[in-house]
Amino acid sequence: MKFAIAVFSPPHAPSSRRALRFAEAALAGGHEISRLFFYQDGVHSASANVVAPQDELDVAARWRAFISEQGLDAVVCIAAALRRGVLDDEESRRYQRPAANLPAPWALSGLGQLHEAAQLADRLVCFGGD
Amino acid sequence: MTTLHVIAHSPFADNRLASCLRLLGIEDALLLCGDAVYALRPGSEPLRDLQAMNLEGRLFALKEDLQARAIDGGLAKAVDYPAFVELSLHHDKVNSWL
Repeated sequence: MKFAIAVFSPPHAPSSRRALRFAEAALAGGHEISRLFFYQDGVHSASANVVAPQDELDVAARWRAFISEQGLDAVVCIAAALRRGVLDDEESRRYQRPAANLPAPWALSGLGQLHEAAQLADRLVCFGGD
Repeated sequence: MTTLHVIAHSPFADNRLASCLRLLGIEDALLLCGDAVYALRPGSEPLRDLQAMNLEGRLFALKEDLQARAIDGGLAKAVDYPAFVELSLHHDKVNSWL
């Protein structure tokens, strides 16, 4: 079965970790993840500048490693990202900002990607909350 | 058409759980995770609301969130992540109360 997974919470929220655990379990169960979509505060997971305390799980780093290792399509909502200062090279140049903090494997794109993912997948599962 | 409802907020902070219970279809299921598992705290009003709903076989809670808060699942069946994945496939839709 195909899953689309949308993450609405930042990497320091327990629900981001739950989304990661769910995604890992879905792949381990032989299912497919057609797209991960990071929306609202979820875009902070894509920032290369997140520094987790040493005694805590670095959820942003785990997301990055998971997406790279599994070759997943990880889309970050561009409107949500820009207003939170999460920019790739192209956007940092466009808005003349001093740095970019959204490297591969993440990709900035629009909300239409969430809509498409919801249509193409068998299940859309959203994660947010405490 | 059945729905798996997922709640992740404490029932003592807002009325998501009460709203969800009002809308819950007779074949729908409810998964409590994160702070929502506090709804299972013995003697609490949310637990009485859940007990009054006859949710046998349709009420679930994430095992690690129960353990992290030292709450006995009791009324709810404790599930791990592979079981969460299966639950989401067993129902036609997953509705997260964000």
